[in-house]
This record gives sequence, C-alpha cells and structure tokens, in this order.
Amino acid sequence: MAGHAGQGSGHGSGHGNGQGSKARPGNRRVAQWTRGYARLPGIPDEYIAQDGTPRAVWTRFFDAFAELTPADIERRFGLADRHLREAGVSYRAPGETADRLWPLSHLPLLIGEADWQQLTAGIVQRAQLLELVLSDLYGEGRLVAENAVPAAAIAGSTEYLRSVCGIEPPGGRYLNMYAADVGRGPDGRWWVLGDRTQAPSGAGYALENRLVLSRAFTTLYKSMNVERVAPFFEAFRDALRASSDRDEPRIGLLTPGIFSETYFEHATLARYLGFLLVEGDDLAVSGDRIHIRTVAGLKRLDVLLRRVDSNSLDPLELDASSQLGVPGLIDVIRKNGVVVANMPGSGVMEARALLGFLPSLSRRFFGEDLKMPHIATWWCGQKSAREEVLSRLDQVAIEGAYGRGVPGFGKGPVLAGELSASERERLKTAISDRGFDYVGQELVRLSTTPVWDNGRITPRPFVLRVFAAATRGGWTMMPGGFCRIADQLDARAVSMGDGARAADVWVVSDKAVSTATLLPSGDTVRIRRIAGWVPSRAADNLFWLGRYLERAEATLRLVRALGTQRDPGKGAATVPHSVERIQRLLVTWGAVSQATRAQPAKVAVEALQSEDKFGSALSLVRAAQRTATSLRERLSPDAWQVITEMTERLAQEVDDDDGVIVAAELTLQELASFAGLAQENMNRAAGWRFLEMGRRAERAINTMRFARQFAYDEAGGEDLDILLTLVDCQITYRSRYLVGPLLAPVRDLVVLDPYNPRSVAFQVFALNDHIASLPTLKEGGLIERPHRLAVALQATLTTAEAAALDTKSLFALEQDLLNLADAIGSHYFPHGPNASRPEKLTGLA
Amino acid sequence: VIYDIRHVTTYSYESPVSFARCSLRLEPRSGDGQQLVSHGVDIRPRPADRTIRHDFFGTHTESVLIETAHRNLRIDSRSRVSVSRRAPARAAPSPAWECVRDVAFESTSLGPESPIGYVFASPLVPVQQPVTLYAAMSFPPGSGILAGAVDLMHRIRTEFKYDPKATVISTPLNEVFEKRHGVCQDFAHVMIAGLRGLGLPAAYVSGYLRTIPPPGKPRLQGADATHAWVSLWCGVAIGWIGFDPTNDILVENDHIVLAVGRDFSDVSPVDGIIVGSRKQKLAVAVDVLLVE
Repeated sequence: MAGHAGQGSGHGSGHGNGQGSKARPGNRRVAQWTRGYARLPGIPDEYIAQDGTPRAVWTRFFDAFAELTPADIERRFGLADRHLREAGVSYRAPGETADRLWPLSHLPLLIGEADWQQLTAGIVQRAQLLELVLSDLYGEGRLVAENAVPAAAIAGSTEYLRSVCGIEPPGGRYLNMYAADVGRGPDGRWWVLGDRTQAPSGAGYALENRLVLSRAFTTLYKSMNVERVAPFFEAFRDALRASSDRDEPRIGLLTPGIFSETYFEHATLARYLGFLLVEGDDLAVSGDRIHIRTVAGLKRLDVLLRRVDSNSLDPLELDASSQLGVPGLIDVIRKNGVVVANMPGSGVMEARALLGFLPSLSRRFFGEDLKMPHIATWWCGQKSAREEVLSRLDQVAIEGAYGRGVPGFGKGPVLAGELSASERERLKTAISDRGFDYVGQELVRLSTTPVWDNGRITPRPFVLRVFAAATRGGWTMMPGGFCRIADQLDARAVSMGDGARAADVWVVSDKAVSTATLLPSGDTVRIRRIAGWVPSRAADNLFWLGRYLERAEATLRLVRALGTQRDPGKGAATVPHSVERIQRLLVTWGAVSQATRAQPAKVAVEALQSEDKFGSALSLVRAAQRTATSLRERLSPDAWQVITEMTERLAQEVDDDDGVIVAAELTLQELASFAGLAQENMNRAAGWRFLEMGRRAERAINTMRFARQFAYDEAGGEDLDILLTLVDCQITYRSRYLVGPLLAPVRDLVVLDPYNPRSVAFQVFALNDHIASLPTLKEGGLIERPHRLAVALQATLTTAEAAALDTKSLFALEQDLLNLADAIGSHYFPHGPNASRPEKLTGLA
Repeated sequence: VIYDIRHVTTYSYESPVSFARCSLRLEPRSGDGQQLVSHGVDIRPRPADRTIRHDFFGTHTESVLIETAHRNLRIDSRSRVSVSRRAPARAAPSPAWECVRDVAFESTSLGPESPIGYVFASPLVPVQQPVTLYAAMSFPPGSGILAGAVDLMHRIRTEFKYDPKATVISTPLNEVFEKRHGVCQDFAHVMIAGLRGLGLPAAYVSGYLRTIPPPGKPRLQGADATHAWVSLWCGVAIGWIGFDPTNDILVENDHIVLAVGRDFSDVSPVDGIIVGSRKQKLAVAVDVLLVE
C-alpha cells in the first residue's frame, strides 16, 4: 500500500524504480515514520486518508525524502534556516518593536492535482461573486433594495466607505487580488474560513518560503513536479499594468512603513514585481493625479498596489488622524486619476455578517450553488439566527460581525463554554441586546498535516491562505499558498503571533510541469535601461547609508590607530601627544565620553561598541542597518547580510586591546566588501549615485578633520605618520618621497592630490561628477546650488598649493565641505525627515 | 423666518504656509422646513482651484486649493436662509422605541436618509456600555421614543456642565462622559452615543442659532459660534426630529441646519491640510441676523 504511486517521479532523485527497493533503508524509514504518526481521532489528515491509507502525493514525497540520509536532512534544514536568517526574512508580531525571525516548518504541505482543481473552482467562483457584490453595493444598490443583503449587515462595517459610494473604480474593478483562508473540514472537503478582500498579506512570504525550500531540496523539489508560483506573479503584474491607461505605467506598492508587521513582505514583493516601494509621504496630489516625489521632481504614478488599510488612505476624506495616506487620494480616484488595488472600500466583504448571504447570492448571480462551502455562520442581527446561536451557545464560537474583535469581549473567537458564569451571562445579554454586532460560527476541527519533529513526523492542524489575482484571462490562482501551522493540537486560532510556523505549499502535478516562464518574449517588450527616477526618500536613505558606513569606517580607523599607538606597558602617565589627539577626535565625534578619556584602556572599547554613544562604531553600523531596513527592496541579499554581520560582530564583547584591534580589522574588511558589492552589483540608475555621494561627502569631511588634527601647522613626524596610516597612504608616500613625513608633501597627498583615491580632492571631483549627471530640477538654466558649491570647491582644491595651506585654510575647506553635504540634502531630498509635512487644520470646537 | 448668516473663519499661522487643500461645508442645506435663498464664500488668499460636489450625505462640499504662500487664511461665508419648521410637543405621543429600533434595522437602503446609517458607531462616536446604560435610564421598556429622547436631552442639559475651556476637538467621548462637561459638540456626541447604544438611529447636525433671541426669551448657548445638535429618527410616521441637548429644546425656527452626518467628522465646516506651519490659531465668528 505504500508503494510508488504516481508515474515517473523523475530523474536525478536517485530514486530506484522496481520492486527491489523494498529492502532499502529509505523504505524502512518511511514505514517507521508512518507507524509513529499518531493521527488525531475523528480529524482528517493530509498524509493519511480517512480509510487509513497514505495519499499518493505524500507517499511519493516521503519515498524521495527518505533517500536522503538523516544527516543530510538536518544539513538541508539548517541550510533553509540559515537562508531565512541571512536574508532577514522577518515579521513583527503586533505590539512588538523588534523583528522576529520567520519560523519555517521544514516539510511542505502537499496538495494533489485533483484536490487543487476542486479548491480552484471554489475560490474563483467566490472571487467572481465578491466582485459582483461589491460593485452592486457601491454602485446601484439593488441587492440591499431587494433585501438580498440586509442593509444592517453592511452599514455596521467600518470598511463600508461612504465617500467611495458611486465612484466607478478606475481600472474597472474592486478586487485585483483576493485571498481566502481555507481548511479541510471533517467531511474531507475544503472549507472557506474567511475572506481577505482588503489588502491580503502572505503572498510575499509564500514566495520566500518557496525560494528557501526549493533551494534546500533542489532535487526533491524537481522530482515532485511542483507547480511553479512565478507565472502567477507575472500574470498579476501584467494585469495591474493593463489596468492603467498608460502604455508603461509607473506602479507603486504603498506600505505603512518599516513599523508595519509585514514590511519585509512589502519590500520582497516590490523588488520581485519591480514596483516602487512607497510610503504616503512619498506621494503627492497634483492636478487630478497622484505623483511620486523623486530626485527629478514629481513623477506621475499610475497604479497603486496598497498594503495600507482603506480608512488610513486619505486624511481628508477618511480617518483624519492617519499619517499613512495621501491627502486627496479619494478625490483623485473619483476623477479616475489613479488605479488603486484593491479599490478602497473592498474590505467590507470581510465582514462575517455577510457569510450567511453568499449562498443565495451565488444562486442569484450564477444560478448555481457555491462550489465550496464556508464555515457555518449565523449573524445574530437576524432573529432566527440569534435564537439559534443562543440556544446552542456552547457549540459555536462567537466572533465580531464586522471587524476583528468581539465587541465588549476583546479578541475573538469567544467560546462560551470557557467563560465564567457571569461572563457567559454578559455574553448572552450582549447578543440579545445588540445581536447585529455578533456572529456564531460552527466549531470546526481542521485537518492536520505532518511536521518534522526530531527525526519523526507528527500531525499538526493548519490554515491555508490561497491567493487569486484578477488577470486578463479571468481569475488566476497562485498554485501554492501561505500555510500556517499551529504548534498546539488545538487549531482554533492559528495566527503568526501565537507561536505558529509557516510552511511552503506544493501543488503536485502527476505530469512534469512546465518550467518555462511566462515572461513576454523579447519583441513585445520595449528595451529600457533606466529603472525610473529614484524616489526622494529612497535617495535620502541611500545618501545616509553611505554616510553612516563611511563614518563607521573613519571611527574604526581611529580605534585601530589607537590600539597600535598605545603601548600598554607604559601606563597612562606617558600618553603620547598623538594618542591624545586621536582621543580628542573620538570625543568630538561622540564615540567616547569625556569621562572615559581619563582611562585610556577603555577608550578604544567604548569607541568600538558602546551602546549609548551615538558615535561608536556599533551605533553607526546600527544606524546604517536601520536606514538599510527601509531600502530592503533596493539592496541585494548579500549587501544586507554584510551589514547584519557587522552589527553582530561589533555587539560581541571584547575585553583586551588585541580583541579591539581584531574586531576593528574584521569590520573594516566587511565595510570594504560592502563597498565592493555596491560598486560591482548595484545598478547605476537605481540610486547607486546617492549611496556613492553619501560616502564621498562623508569621506571628504572626515579626511579633512584628520588633516586638521594631524597636519596642523606645527605637526611633527609622529603626527604626520598617524595621518598617513589613518588615510591608508603610507605606501604611496614612501614610494614618492625618500624622506620621512614632512608637512607640505603630506598635506598635498592627503588633501590636494586628485589621483589619490583617499584624498579630499578625489572625493570632491567624484561628487562633482555625480552631481553633474543628476537631473536639474529648476528651469532657467542657472547652475544649481550643490553643483555651484562643488565646482567652486573643485577649483579651490585644483589651484591650491600645499605650501600655502595652513590650519586656518584647512578649517575653511572643512566648512565648505559641510555646506556642500547640506546643500545636496536640501536640494535632492526636500521631503526628507526634517521637511515640513502636511498637517491638519485645527477643527472647530 | 428669514435669516442672514455671516460665518467667518480665520486661521493665523506662525510661519508662512505654502500650500493648503481644504474642504468647505458651509452652504446651508435646503429641505426639512428650510430653504436656502442665497449663498457665497469669499476666500483670501485667492484659491488656485475651487471645485464643488455633493458628498454622500448630500452636503454641498467645496474643495479648495491654495498655492500662494500666506500667513492668514480667511474664509468668509454669507448665506440667506428661510426657515419654517414645526417641532412636535415635548409630550406628543410616539411609537415605542423598541419598535422604532426594529423598523430601522429592517431598512432596505444604505442611502443618506436611511436610518440604518446612524445606528452604528462612527469615527468620533464609539458605542460604550456606560453611555448606553446612562441613556437606557430614559428609555424604560415600551416607552415612547419622543418621551425618551426628551428626557435624555433634559438630563444631559442638567447633569453636564457647559464649559468651552474643558474640551478640545480631540477630547474623546468617554472623557467627556466621565467628567460631565464639554460644549455643544460633546453633548451631541454623548446623546448620539447613548441612543445608538440602544440601537436607535441618531445623526449629528451642524448649524447655527439665531444670535438675538425673540423678545422675552433668553439668549441661547452657542449662538456666537457654529452649533451642533442631534437628529433622531422616530419612525416612518414622524421621521427625523431635532434635539438640542445644549439648550434642552426641540429644534424649530431658531436653528439653521448646515449639514448632517454621523458625527462631527462628516460635517466639519472647514477641514483640510496645510504644508508649512508648526503653530496655527483659529478664530471663528458667527452672526445670525433676523431679516423678517
């Protein structure tokens, strides 16, 4: 019975065919796993069918899986976990400030082809139905007028947006992406547990889970004929593109920002789909259109895929206190100026009060029953349903009729059986008095699926979220989905917050699946090289990412110099003059406190890893990491990984001078590898310039400060020697001059020499080139301020003579550099963190 | 009676404002015993764009875009309105409040006139048990809806203190309720919250009061600013009736309706966003003169 079901499980799996394999260790292990798999009585299971026989897809999977040695399995699981950690796949539980790592269940959920077709038919029909209902609710209103849907079941939802009533949705539809939570009920059929019509999350995580698992089990994955998910995303993107009236529309993914619990997913999807990741602040209404603020001025945005809830979208017409939206957005939609997916107000279909009316609506619209049942739901706004719920209060779960919570009882579901006698009475009174606020739902025990548990498999309940996109050919299902697996056997509330794990979902075909992508062929796509102008906020963040990393580098160089200069044997009494100067710089930069200066042994450690000094290398690298978080969609996974490694290293405690020097050295190497990655891998059109400009500006300023500190008018050989070390110019100097360090030659090399990649002049020349290749914003042909300052500085540095420089002129140059950096900021990022934001007019009291 | 109304709103900013986008709901509505005769709004500085539409509730809404830098924004609205309204007697017979509630829930329309739009919580009016219990004391089982609402209005008038300094626009309802003080807007919100807690359809009305009372009558509270009160749906036969909890009177010819919505957020006379100023000062002057 556990034989090889299915045909041709493929090549390359090392999978023997024929009867002889009975004796192989793999088969023994499968048998062992299966024996130890204790199904829950009365609850259906994905692996073992009701009649006790394993389902064919799972047998195929376990047979192939068992070919791997136990050590190999663990190694591959470790690989998957490491990938998740390094890619920074994370989510944030509600109310938490730190990201959590993504807990991945290592076994995928398998769904066979026939099962999947049944699911697809049900979901597609449902999506079509919800679209029709929405367009009637916000349009003609016949369903309510003819009492097919009670007005009260709609009016109670905060997602029923009165300001959207009567607006034709630009792009022609309300739902572009629909998701449903489904589970397999006791009768073995798939049931819908809830609809997601607002801004469904999870598709991006599904994508990431697939990436991780298919990489860790390449051969197994290939041999299983798993349907690919990429074509689904392609089709979704094409559909959004086609929804705009422009040929090559600009599409943005609107995120609430890095504090959103699913920000990682927003960044993943934006990167994968090639959309701009935008926040409300990045957008502005101008004329009858939405525009994105870029370094080249306002650029029209045609389609907005939103991950911000409807009510937060427009402080002018919706929630006035929202900071996440765009003032005037609804009016732009009213004037057909932007496609928003899903249409604001579509979330009204998530109300549980509506569930009970869908079967009759299906018959009304399609003349047929719903193909897929949903969990039995009684809306207590209707007398008969209310009485039904009150009469069997212990057999149902009470949920809110419209929103997330259960009014008066906190987060749902509420189980009457688990309440105290007085609470139970309070619930009954609430349902009798305000029945319309509540629904009763059948308590269903969902099916279980195998999870890996230390070399064994055990059953765990799960909820599967499936996704459908409105595409040109109708609704398209993502073959797969986002599966959440409960850690306990009680599956009543499977939510990511409750210690649940996620699993990849494999829709397994009997035949080999096509691996061809649905990418349009070369002749239908216009070749483009510019990925679109960089949004101001992203440019701002890139600029500061460059500056933070460069400042960290300068600090680390000082720390390293300090470590090599200080002779521990001699004690504090003979602190050389040069060490004194290094310490002074570290104090000025906020890396070391004044008090610590008296304890030379502690200075380097504090500058390296103090948590509460904003200028310590650790703080700077963390600032870089925070900045990088909001650039996730623009950074390669490798670059992100380097930053993560640096913060982890600097956070590890070191106690002696050697430890300090080693940590500084290694971090400097990582900084160099980040710079290398940026140099070699970042597209020059996608903001690379701003990262570079930040780095150049910061390096010029820091080098100038080094020069002022160590090449002052009376500087001696020891000072100049340190300066050459700090700016990495020892070798160049020695190859050029046969004498020891002298003031004018050192000043020339460090400040004026345009061929020395560490000199101030080199940075200024580079800045000048970058600025010259950026778009000009204002008309009139006048040179813009950053360019003017850069050209002037370049001229000064080009014509200056080393012998004529003095401490005073070095200081003046430093001021010029600071002015240039500020000018870049205020010119290209006028909407940065310090810019004035739109604020509400005070209301009347 | 015919009134001439002047309603001037002035914002003063600490630093220049470069951009403003406002929604104005300043045109008094026609209907329900009221007729708009004339209306005009003058805005300084002059807007770059003005567009008019009617919002979901039927309120005349003007969107205004100002792109000239300014330190003062002055919105001067003048209207002439004729009012002829009869309120029922305070003790008039009316259907039991439970029947009104049940009929409201049977509604088959989501339109602005439908009572179903006014029985649920709205952005500024949460439904909270303490307020519901407070209101329930005025509505014994089977009692008439008018009598109940008159009693609730009277209790709010006598048990709450009118204190313009006590609250600002953002003071939450539960604080107003616990401290038992506020202004017309707060009283209207409290009364609406109580009525909705019982499942009764209650709307929020913004408008004006005549400034100089008829001879021999006291000057009404709130006459020198915009006013707010409650409109309660009392069943198919009686329809919507206005209750002014700030003055404990039924709405008749001393009240001029500007706009109706679920709460203040739906009817705010001047609403908008600006770019550029950290501090703003608001002054509102209202004058309602009896023409004849």
